[in-house]
Amino acid sequence: MVKMLVPYPDKCTGCRFCEIACTLYHEGKINHADARLQVHKRDVRIDFPSVCTHCVACKDECCVTACPVEAIKIEDGIVRVDEDECTACGTCVEVCPFGVMRMEETAFKCDLCGGDPTCVKFCSMGAIKYEEPKPEQYEAVRKLLKAEE
Amino acid sequence: MKGFSGKILKIDLSSGKDSIKSTDERYVKKYLGGSGFAIELVYHGVPEGADALSPENVLAMAPGVFDGFAVPTGGKTAFAAKSPATNTLAESIMGGSIGAELRHAGYDALEIFGKAEKPSYLFIEDDKIEINEADDLWGKDTRQVPDILKKRHGWDVKVACIGVAGEKLVRMACIDCDDRQAGRAGLGAVMGSKNLKAIVVRGTGDLEPADPGKLLEIALRYQKIMEAAPSFNEDTKYGTGEFLGWINKEKGVFPTRNWQESFFKEREQIDPYYWAPRYVSKNKACFACTKPCGKLFEIKSGKFSGVAIDGLEYETLYSLGGGCGNADIESVAKANEVCDLVGIDTISAGVAIGFAMELIQRGIITEDEVGMKLTWDNASDSVPKMCEMIGRREGFGDILSEGVKRAAEKIGKGAERYAVHTKGMEPPAYDVRGMKGHGLSFMTSTRGACHLRAGMYAPELVGKFWRWEGIDRLSIEGKGEKVATMENFMGVYDSVGLCKFSRGFFLIDKLREVIEAISGLQFTEEELLKIGERIHNMKGGFNVKHGITRKDWLLPPRVLEDPIPEGPSKGAKITVEEMNNMLDDYMAVRGWTTDGAPTPEKLKELDIV
Repeated sequence: MVKMLVPYPDKCTGCRFCEIACTLYHEGKINHADARLQVHKRDVRIDFPSVCTHCVACKDECCVTACPVEAIKIEDGIVRVDEDECTACGTCVEVCPFGVMRMEETAFKCDLCGGDPTCVKFCSMGAIKYEEPKPEQYEAVRKLLKAEE
Repeated sequence: MKGFSGKILKIDLSSGKDSIKSTDERYVKKYLGGSGFAIELVYHGVPEGADALSPENVLAMAPGVFDGFAVPTGGKTAFAAKSPATNTLAESIMGGSIGAELRHAGYDALEIFGKAEKPSYLFIEDDKIEINEADDLWGKDTRQVPDILKKRHGWDVKVACIGVAGEKLVRMACIDCDDRQAGRAGLGAVMGSKNLKAIVVRGTGDLEPADPGKLLEIALRYQKIMEAAPSFNEDTKYGTGEFLGWINKEKGVFPTRNWQESFFKEREQIDPYYWAPRYVSKNKACFACTKPCGKLFEIKSGKFSGVAIDGLEYETLYSLGGGCGNADIESVAKANEVCDLVGIDTISAGVAIGFAMELIQRGIITEDEVGMKLTWDNASDSVPKMCEMIGRREGFGDILSEGVKRAAEKIGKGAERYAVHTKGMEPPAYDVRGMKGHGLSFMTSTRGACHLRAGMYAPELVGKFWRWEGIDRLSIEGKGEKVATMENFMGVYDSVGLCKFSRGFFLIDKLREVIEAISGLQFTEEELLKIGERIHNMKGGFNVKHGITRKDWLLPPRVLEDPIPEGPSKGAKITVEEMNNMLDDYMAVRGWTTDGAPTPEKLKELDIV
């Protein structure tokens, strides 16, 4: 079974620990703007995580096909950025429907922490689970993102 | 030194100028961070005798050592100033994300003094500091303000603001961020007195811990310990009110109807075991908290339809619930929302309303004078309305907005007899007649009646904590030493920025490795407790200089003269003799004069200038 990060908006408390843990694990320092997922807080009623779906739910808003230099590839179901090929043009950041493609010198993104995602370990309420992908959950997040526009 | 920028941002609202105070490792070794930094800034920044609502007062904001770093439940920010409620040096701690954001912007703390000429808000984006006009924000509530500012500056900015109450210098006005409040001691009025409606921060810098791998390992370890704790499910399901039923029914120390009783018979609805399954749609948390006690409480029909709050906290269930004889949970939630939006502390507001209700009950004031049927049997309707009137200083709300001490003085006719407070601060939800050490801590708390400066209720109700066992809540034996030690303990907690609900497993000794992983600095347990002692002595010394001495500390008549009338703690009270013995005991442990002043020797020992 392929496992992915699955968001459950109605479980998110808005604590943002997932963002902190994500950058601490990957960079050894903390910066929410570099987190490979994002917690949205707009209103007392609404907190939700937006995560990379690794092609499961992006449909035609696809970073892999949008990349003009084919630097974004799928390996074993995981979407990765080839940093040697990336020209930092920013197309992938623009196209990403979940707003979780990041950019410094090159683009970078969620790699599921090698199959043991750090964010999930700290999400005690189960707002991000690592399990079989559930399309309806990604749809729920998309709707919330659309409502923000 | 890692983890700290060594920069404190100072803003003079009068001149509009900002400057940087540079700090170093010695500063951290002495004051630690968070509350310690904030207290230091107020202690050294406010001239003797300055009025709390004058431009001379200093409002400090400081994220705890852990805030922003990966420590579960470690996202607390301290605010401090001379309190307009108590005229003492008071801190108020909140779980909003603005403190961590300030750190990302490159500052360890923020010190605000002076007064802006007209309504303003402070905008901090890394090195860019602006004082902007806030005419369009004036009069707006604590949800409208961040909404407007985030639309203007971007959704990623963090906003701390006051409601109308802070503008109107209500002495129980709070500061709000992310629907979390620095609730106590009227610090919102300090912002209002400075014409400062909001503080907006965006920080884009990295936070670099000294040992990232170790920090992540510690975080994971505590996450597992916390989730495995037997209370985890109950706490996250029912929030801080989880033990309300136990405190009320088993212990009989749940102050009811302005402390006339301590057992709320009509408890059923205000108990989270009743309301959580019916009204809570999901959990809410402070910044960086993975053990959420907040609840999204929504009312979807009826006269209070539309209410949506991050609540209800145990304290609010008492103050706006049992304390006012209000058994209607929807009314309590509505009143909570009113308090949040208008920007007042739910504890002080509820106690002030309960006080007025008792005055009506006793014929000291009339319903006509108050302008409504503010009675126990009409609590459901009247409590939310009176919260609004307090926050806006309308009608009789104007009198209550000064807090029960000043309100009683103004009303006269013996009203003082029913004003429950110490140092002018309305008390939280623990009847100290049935927990005497906690009663002592109401008096010794530098910000007035408080459950969090020492947290003595927990050791006394459970009977054991940390170094102690066999604690008798009705005895005064050894309480001076315990209260002083717990105050030092909590001073450390407020300085590292850790939630006090973690104190059961994150004992002081366990904080050492976390501080080291973040900063690289090593502390012994004794050194940390010494910092806690230093912080408390600074607050105590400040208070004496500002005219607050033992005579102002004393317990109210209700606690000294009226025994608890029924329930499991029936007959309990604190006698005047017990009160004085506990105070003498405490002063001796502290090395203070009997009048409550730190001695020159003690100040020297703690290196306080």
